[in-house]
Amino acid sequence: MPSETITSESRDSAPAGDASAIGARTASRGTIAAFLGPVLVIYAGFIFYPVIRTFYNSLHTVGPQNTSSFVGFQNFTQLLFHDATFWRAVGNTVTFTVVGTVADVLGGLLLALCLFSQAPFGRLLRVIWFTPVLMSYVVVGIIWVWLYDYDWGLINTILRWIGLGAFEQSWLGDPHTALWAVLVTHLWKWLGFNMIICLAALYALPGEVLGAAELDACGWFAKLVYIIIPMLRPTLVNLLVLSFVGKMMMFDLVWIMTDGGPLWATETVSTYVYKRAFNWNSFDLGYPSAIAVLWSVMIVAFVVLMTRLLRQRERLEF
Amino acid sequence: MKSLLIAALALTVTGGAAAKAEDVTLTVWSHEADETAKVALREQAARNLEASHPGLHVKITWYEKDGLNSALRTALPAGQGPDVFYVEPGQTEYITSGMIAPLDDLVDWSNIYDWARSVWTVDGKTWALPEEAYTDELYYNKDLLAKLGITLPANGQLSQGQFLDLVTKARAAGMTPVSAGVGDRPYPGAYILAEALLRKLGTDDYGKLLTGKLSFEDPRVVEVFTWVKSLVDAGAYPKNFMTLKLGESHQYFFQKPGSVVFPMGSFYTGRAFVPVDQGGQSPDFPLGIMQFPAMDGAACNSCKTVAVGASFAINAASKHKDLAAAYLNELAKPEVGKQWIETVYLQTAVKTGGIQFSGPYAAYFTELMDRQKGATYFTGMPVDVLSGQCKDSFVQVMNKAFPGGLLGVDEAVKMMNEGCYKG
Repeated sequence: MPSETITSESRDSAPAGDASAIGARTASRGTIAAFLGPVLVIYAGFIFYPVIRTFYNSLHTVGPQNTSSFVGFQNFTQLLFHDATFWRAVGNTVTFTVVGTVADVLGGLLLALCLFSQAPFGRLLRVIWFTPVLMSYVVVGIIWVWLYDYDWGLINTILRWIGLGAFEQSWLGDPHTALWAVLVTHLWKWLGFNMIICLAALYALPGEVLGAAELDACGWFAKLVYIIIPMLRPTLVNLLVLSFVGKMMMFDLVWIMTDGGPLWATETVSTYVYKRAFNWNSFDLGYPSAIAVLWSVMIVAFVVLMTRLLRQRERLEF
Repeated sequence: MKSLLIAALALTVTGGAAAKAEDVTLTVWSHEADETAKVALREQAARNLEASHPGLHVKITWYEKDGLNSALRTALPAGQGPDVFYVEPGQTEYITSGMIAPLDDLVDWSNIYDWARSVWTVDGKTWALPEEAYTDELYYNKDLLAKLGITLPANGQLSQGQFLDLVTKARAAGMTPVSAGVGDRPYPGAYILAEALLRKLGTDDYGKLLTGKLSFEDPRVVEVFTWVKSLVDAGAYPKNFMTLKLGESHQYFFQKPGSVVFPMGSFYTGRAFVPVDQGGQSPDFPLGIMQFPAMDGAACNSCKTVAVGASFAINAASKHKDLAAAYLNELAKPEVGKQWIETVYLQTAVKTGGIQFSGPYAAYFTELMDRQKGATYFTGMPVDVLSGQCKDSFVQVMNKAFPGGLLGVDEAVKMMNEGCYKG
């Protein structure tokens, strides 16, 4: 069935009262309210109010029975100047985010290139690499905690088996390796997602451009650097931003695998907020709200900065 | 004739009203819907109460904990809550908001241990009836201990030097001395350290330590940390201590690879006394219970930690407080306490002293009760008593990093002091 193109001209010329021509400009306010109202109520109840409430709480000390007292910016002052654990969590989160984002996108691109170049067993590899994406963090976390186990974990077993027993580690129990161990798990789960997106973008590239490059005797590396990556840039930027935001809010995998330990070595801002809100046997939701507000502002600032830095100034034409 | 008719009518009406007044439904909301032994016991108490109160119907609604708490949070403020409901220590919001009734004059407390009642005593009033209790115990494998050539003294308590010797001998014999893992819990790694601190300091100073009134740099505290460090350095804990989960640590002890001792709450039985194919210990496993080691120069080597779990409170808005209290009294009968131990396989706050236990684990419970003789109790596990930064420090330092060998004594003491000490 051919799609109907509605131009501004045809919309403007639609006779008043024609039921088939209901649009934003012709619908009554009651109709608009009837359609938007339920959504706005849900949005207000589940998004707008909690956000406003979090901002409100961040300026208060919240006690039992929802009693609260105004403390101004005291929570923020405490957070910024006197809370070593918060800064430890910030450091871990930033490390995890920066390294993880770059590794995530680069790794996904490499896997996609591997499949794009018609590697043997491509279909099988695609399934294998994508399967972890379908697993929940709980399952992934439990599997990798087993893999990392000192005594019976697969990683140490292999190290012992190949004669590298001296390198066996309590991967999640040592503050020097725990964050990296969690990061590897995270990459294992998400590489497949980035691979699929990159692969779809690669298949969408115009064949004539790549063909012309080959006719010009362009080598594979030059083709990758000067043609493929620039043309994939919008996709890669989107992946970078998505990956970045996801890692800045990292909670579940860390919670399952290390609970922020050992010695706060894997504490992220999100796990710290949760602990302050619900694990400290304290009713105060003001301080954790202040962390959440501050961190949200920082995430938005980083995303804006990143988008501006990576924005393509000249549009590619092909 | 007319007056006779009126009299007969009046008799019928009043008689009917009297029958109606006895027709009461007492509502109970309880957690632990999936614990069949506890369900059976609480239902049996309800039937017993119905039998002694004709016209009374006790309706128990079973929940899991989150569902129960959500339901209570909405029902109680609306005045629609049950007459009796399940609570646990720490849920003080019901007390501060005036939603539960004081039970001092309602319940017969003669059947409840004083230490258990004290857990629910706030501002001089008792707010809930404790049903479940547990103590910190040091389980051991009798066969492995015999292989090491170690014999327990009559009181079941090694000295701190003898315990270090046990650890050293076990490692030399290729055994894991202590099974413990902190992969999914904030407390198992701290059992030995916390119990040693309790014995060394006694209940008063230990309480002060946990509430920030005594410094972790106190020489006695440092001595205990130093002793535990010597255990850690001697290889007391499994190498996968950091990732071993609570359930796995049980199996590590009684199944594979096996350890000599296992510090655990007496709720150990909840995992161990289930069929082997469900992960329980073998019926012929040589399980023993020793006291935590006696500390040199200790203030109270008979001290041990006790904690309360499942409890029941009466809704302050209940119109049937006397009947609600009667239900709690049913739960608190010594024979119900005995039945609790024999079927739930956990300790109870109900006095069971002098009762002969029967059933497959009678010997275990007899030994467990023997280990309580002469004990001076400190109420509450540290992880439940502590709050805020101090709790976080406890979890990271005393539970994980210090027994995990990541910290020296000075670092651990300093970190605990920074988190806890308010002096």
